[in-house]
Amino acid sequence: MPDRSTRPLAELRRSDAPEYGGKSANLGDMLAAGIPVPPGFAVGAHAFRLFVAETGLRGTVESALGRVAKDDVEAAGAASKTIAEAMRFAPLPLLVRDEVAERYDELGEPSVAVRSSALGEDSHDATFAGQQESFLWIRGVEQLLDAVRDCWVSLYTTRAIMYRAGLGGGVAEAAMGVTVQQMVDAVVSGVMFTCNPVSGDPSMVAVNASWGLGIAVVGGETTPDDFLVSKVTGEVVRRTVSTKEIEYVPDAAARGTVRLEVPAERQGQPCLDEEHLSALVEAGRNVERHFGSHQDIEWALERGSPLPGSLHVLQSRPVTTMKPKTPKLSESALSLVMGTFGASPQTDPEP
Amino acid sequence: MAAPTKTSSAFPSPYEIQTPPGCEGWEEMYPYYTLFDESRREADEARFWFWNSMHFPVPMPAFDVACIDSPYQAVGEWQNRFFAVPPAMGIDYRIVNGYVYISGNPVTDPEKIGERVGFFQRRAGYYFEHWEELYAGWKKKMEALIAEITELPVPELPEYEPDEVMLEDDRNTAFYEVLASYDRTLRCGDLMWQHHFELLLLGYGAYVTFSDFCKTSLPDIPDQHIAQMVAGIDVLLFKPSAELRRLAKLAIDSGVDGVFVEGRSPAEIDAELERSDAGKAWLAELERIKDPWFNMATGDGLYHYYGSWYDDPTIPYASIVGHVRALNDGEEAERPSEEIARERDRLASEYGALLDEDTRRTFDELLGLSRMVFPYVEEHKFYCDYWFLTRWWNKVREFGALLARHGFLEDTEDVFQLGRHEVAQALDELLLTWATGGAPLGPRHWPPIVARRKELLERLARWTPPPAIGTTPEAITDPMSIMLWGVTTQRVQEWASAEDGGGRLTGAAASPGVVEGTARVVIDVEEIAAVRDGDVLVCPITSPAWAPIFSSVKAVVTDIGGVMSHAAIVCREYGLPAVVGTGRATATIQTGQTIRVDGSDGVVTILD
Repeated sequence: MPDRSTRPLAELRRSDAPEYGGKSANLGDMLAAGIPVPPGFAVGAHAFRLFVAETGLRGTVESALGRVAKDDVEAAGAASKTIAEAMRFAPLPLLVRDEVAERYDELGEPSVAVRSSALGEDSHDATFAGQQESFLWIRGVEQLLDAVRDCWVSLYTTRAIMYRAGLGGGVAEAAMGVTVQQMVDAVVSGVMFTCNPVSGDPSMVAVNASWGLGIAVVGGETTPDDFLVSKVTGEVVRRTVSTKEIEYVPDAAARGTVRLEVPAERQGQPCLDEEHLSALVEAGRNVERHFGSHQDIEWALERGSPLPGSLHVLQSRPVTTMKPKTPKLSESALSLVMGTFGASPQTDPEP
Repeated sequence: MAAPTKTSSAFPSPYEIQTPPGCEGWEEMYPYYTLFDESRREADEARFWFWNSMHFPVPMPAFDVACIDSPYQAVGEWQNRFFAVPPAMGIDYRIVNGYVYISGNPVTDPEKIGERVGFFQRRAGYYFEHWEELYAGWKKKMEALIAEITELPVPELPEYEPDEVMLEDDRNTAFYEVLASYDRTLRCGDLMWQHHFELLLLGYGAYVTFSDFCKTSLPDIPDQHIAQMVAGIDVLLFKPSAELRRLAKLAIDSGVDGVFVEGRSPAEIDAELERSDAGKAWLAELERIKDPWFNMATGDGLYHYYGSWYDDPTIPYASIVGHVRALNDGEEAERPSEEIARERDRLASEYGALLDEDTRRTFDELLGLSRMVFPYVEEHKFYCDYWFLTRWWNKVREFGALLARHGFLEDTEDVFQLGRHEVAQALDELLLTWATGGAPLGPRHWPPIVARRKELLERLARWTPPPAIGTTPEAITDPMSIMLWGVTTQRVQEWASAEDGGGRLTGAAASPGVVEGTARVVIDVEEIAAVRDGDVLVCPITSPAWAPIFSSVKAVVTDIGGVMSHAAIVCREYGLPAVVGTGRATATIQTGQTIRVDGSDGVVTILD
């Protein structure tokens, strides 16, 4: 049905990225490959377009953005504020409301994470464009619908406007998908790279982990435990256990999460053991094999359940910061040995 | 930005090093050319010297200086005069308070370097191409040399020469034979060192190249995996301990393992074994393997202190006792060599599979080259450092015994307190006076010198040598210093900063690169306006709100955060060096200080 605005994550494939955004498409792709991703559904760009069309917001957006010149931070801030206010009070199209409610019901109405799923060009630079909104521990349809709208609003943060103005053109045509995914009540969570992101070593999996939900690690609010594990032998070649002073847990009383001090006796304890690490490395290698490139993976271990079922992959994206290796590496062995003695054939006798 | 210029070196001048109390006059133990002489002060103070603690960890006895001179003659010969390694001639050494400091002689003239490149390529190329046959020939030469030093006679001085002097044409008299024999002993030592370095430079070079290659393409690979991929399966150097294990198993199988009780001396164990046939058979088997495997040394070093297992069987016997116990307790499972070979090939193919095609081809080639040279790299130690040297020291002891018998020394071992030229002098006088029937001065001359030197060595051993002296170099480029001693620019900087008394913070190496700059300590995001172009940002933590300043700072240091925190990710995007999670950067560093941020090693150094 072409005019439907939502689909279950499990049905999505990478080719759905133009409509549902990179994040949702990726998660669907991983689910299909048997990677343990929590279930959920995706809201497509179609829903957003319906929203701006039905509520007449399109005009507001266009005229607000029309006043923003490149590098004009003040104007961008003003436009952002105008658009956000207009959007927050605009009702969601009935069609979208009903569909989201229906999907949510199908999921069993759990607590969910609602995240923006950027489209096209935006998705490559989502970090810089500021389109990384995440709303965690959303409960109930009303909170969910508000969170979807909040994601859409994030399309027009000052930074996003500036960023797109910098790229030039297409400002008003921006659109966005939203990912709705069942929350994992994480006892431990973190990030892993299927290479060492600092050295570029492809034989290592680098794991950062801390207590509670992943935002403490991703946001750099805590110094996580740091592990470097060899893909070849499974050895933990580096293990740095830190004092993890804070953790995020679901807020029992309301929407969202709360930041708590970690009880003293748990602060200095390593939050992963060998068994966890080997499960993580295996999952990481599966994801890496699936995408055919080094991956930056967010993961969580669910509270009160044993491995391997407790391990969830929350999202994965290609590692982008890897520097290509020096071309020197393809020289012949003998000339490299000569180089060790300062006698490589390329040695230029001139200073 | 240029590194800040220092008015003085971080290391002491060799000329300002104090003589430890009671060690005045230590210099007389050593040849004049080994000292930091006033006449070459200007040149020597301007050089960088590091303590060769790897080969010479304790103060040098006078005779053992032969084990500095010969190897540095040989390494200089091969490196500088034969292979003509383009940027490096040989290695100079000096002795300070009994300790050996070394410094490479670089080739700086570009024309000269160019000339040497051609030389090196041709000769090194030939060696690599003919490695196997050259190494086979090398082993024959070494075995012949070891046989020669073992059999070299040190004749006793008779009351009267025997009739053979009259009857045999080629029979010489004792005074000549002793002098010739001593001379030949020294030459055999020189020859061993010549052989030692013939293949070593290239062998290390190939291995180090493979190791560097692995560390470039697989930066976190543990050193032991590199070694495992290269290591030989049936290596000579491991044979001695493998044989001891086999003997332990034999003892168990033939029911004599009860004899191997902890705390028993080798003589006690032998005596008990002699009482049974099974014990006698075991002893016969031990005797059979002693040559060559008991030529293993009791220690690793170039000093006369280390004997072989022949000289002191305590170590091999204790090892057998340990193996017997472990085997009986089921702790030691034999690891068949096929399994080791499988593991070595598995590592190589798994690591290879992680590399792209071009890189993998070079990896395989370098691995092949390393495997070819590695037997030499491992085995030369057994031939040279253990087998030959333990026999050589024993030959020197025979001359010591001769001198002691004639009262020139109180004890055989005292010979090592004399320089090799002094021993020649003492022998000259002994042979002169023995021949003439005159009265030697030696018995009054040498013993007090020996006694004083023993005291000096004991006192000097309590002194702690600085890791380096002289002028701090900007960079270490000498391939030998890096390859053989692991003395790199970074290592020298670490020594220098330790010498300065600290100012060093460590954290997670979050984004690679090294820069120096002015620190800007920013506690709160509100203060980011104060950040100037080119500052090094020092902050507790960063969040996306800090994004605007990343384009103007040149490095980032944080108190908390891991390698995947926001600051780390953004720094890698911008190519800025970053050290995160230092714990105390904002408390330790002050705005305006010059700091060095090493994002590859996770080290922040305060430079002023």
